[in-house]
Amino acid sequence: MSEFLLLAALFLLGTIALGFLRVHWGPSRADRIASAQLVGTGGVAMTLLLAAAGGNSAIIDVGLVLALLAAFAAVAFVKSTSADGAGDPEENDE
Amino acid sequence: MNAALLLDAGLCLLILTAAVLAMTGRDLFGAIAFFIVYGILIALAWVRLEAVDVALAEAAIGAGLTGVLLIGAWSLLRRAGVSEAHELSHWGLRLVAGLASAATTVVLAAAVLALPPGREGLAPLVTERLADHGVSNPVTGVLLDFRAYDTLMESIVLLVALVAVWALTPASAWGGVPGMRQHARPDGVLAMFGRLLPPIGLVMAVYLVWAGSSQPGGAFQAGTVLAAVWLLVVMAGIYDEPPISSGLLRTALVAGPAVFLAIGIAGLGAGALLAYPDEYAYGLILLIEFTLTFSIGATLALLVAGRARRAA
Repeated sequence: MSEFLLLAALFLLGTIALGFLRVHWGPSRADRIASAQLVGTGGVAMTLLLAAAGGNSAIIDVGLVLALLAAFAAVAFVKSTSADGAGDPEENDE
Repeated sequence: MNAALLLDAGLCLLILTAAVLAMTGRDLFGAIAFFIVYGILIALAWVRLEAVDVALAEAAIGAGLTGVLLIGAWSLLRRAGVSEAHELSHWGLRLVAGLASAATTVVLAAAVLALPPGREGLAPLVTERLADHGVSNPVTGVLLDFRAYDTLMESIVLLVALVAVWALTPASAWGGVPGMRQHARPDGVLAMFGRLLPPIGLVMAVYLVWAGSSQPGGAFQAGTVLAAVWLLVVMAGIYDEPPISSGLLRTALVAGPAVFLAIGIAGLGAGALLAYPDEYAYGLILLIEFTLTFSIGATLALLVAGRARRAA
């Protein structure tokens, strides 16, 4: 069972490697940051698989912290694209 | 070939690739994106090495705070008219930075290679002595008891770093508020995010510091989560940063190290500086952990926010 879970984690690592292509090539900044988010999502899934494979529930906490905080870089990026750098692109959608 | 070996080899390969692409990429923003990716992968590597305490810290710092800090810095640079790395520093400076990094790597590698093979180090001693003390997580036991001296110094170093950042404040903004006033559409996604995630982060932080006494977790990880959710509240425009002259804020900053130091000095009565009397050790360590969490959170959040830029 744990061998299967590790193989599943290996598959996720492969999807993370594919995400690298988009982080590297872009072309837009949104492409780069979105694929960095994809790596974060893959990372959360991998922690869950590793927790089950190793029987160590504390690893799930790493996944929880990643899940909570991985989106913060995207928030910072979205703010940086607003007109004065302190706003929110949605403010113009009135 | 077994799956564990393939997984570890693949992880190492991706970590090295992310590091090389972050350093050699021509696009400054691309380098930041790879640095964030690198942090996530390093957290996974610590999980594979069964150092879950370190993985938690790396996940919170690498995925949470560093991304916000670097993208914020990039945004400010771009608005100041600098868009790419080669406009920032002289090649000589980069050469010195590269040599210093290479030297650090060599020293670290030499230290690892100098470890005697096949020895368990101090782990059996820590496990043996941990039973006499309050906590059952060996990492927390080492950080807050056996090597409490180091942890006390580190919590003070964080404060010194903040003092160094504040020292950059121009006289006109002294005592004022860090960063720009953030704003967002009141019914938008960002504002919703800023109201939804902080309560979850608060619960997560309390859980991490509480869990730290018996399993991976602790004040530093929990403090980082607190700092990150506070930054989210500010970025969503819900609350503004406090002015750096605020007495309440300064109390929050020094409370952790002060309580730690006071309990340490009181330990003189039990025989030595930073010695806890056995019957109170658990409660005292928890008290230190919780106040340190609060202070570390406040310090990290203000380090990311930077110097004061406008009047209170």
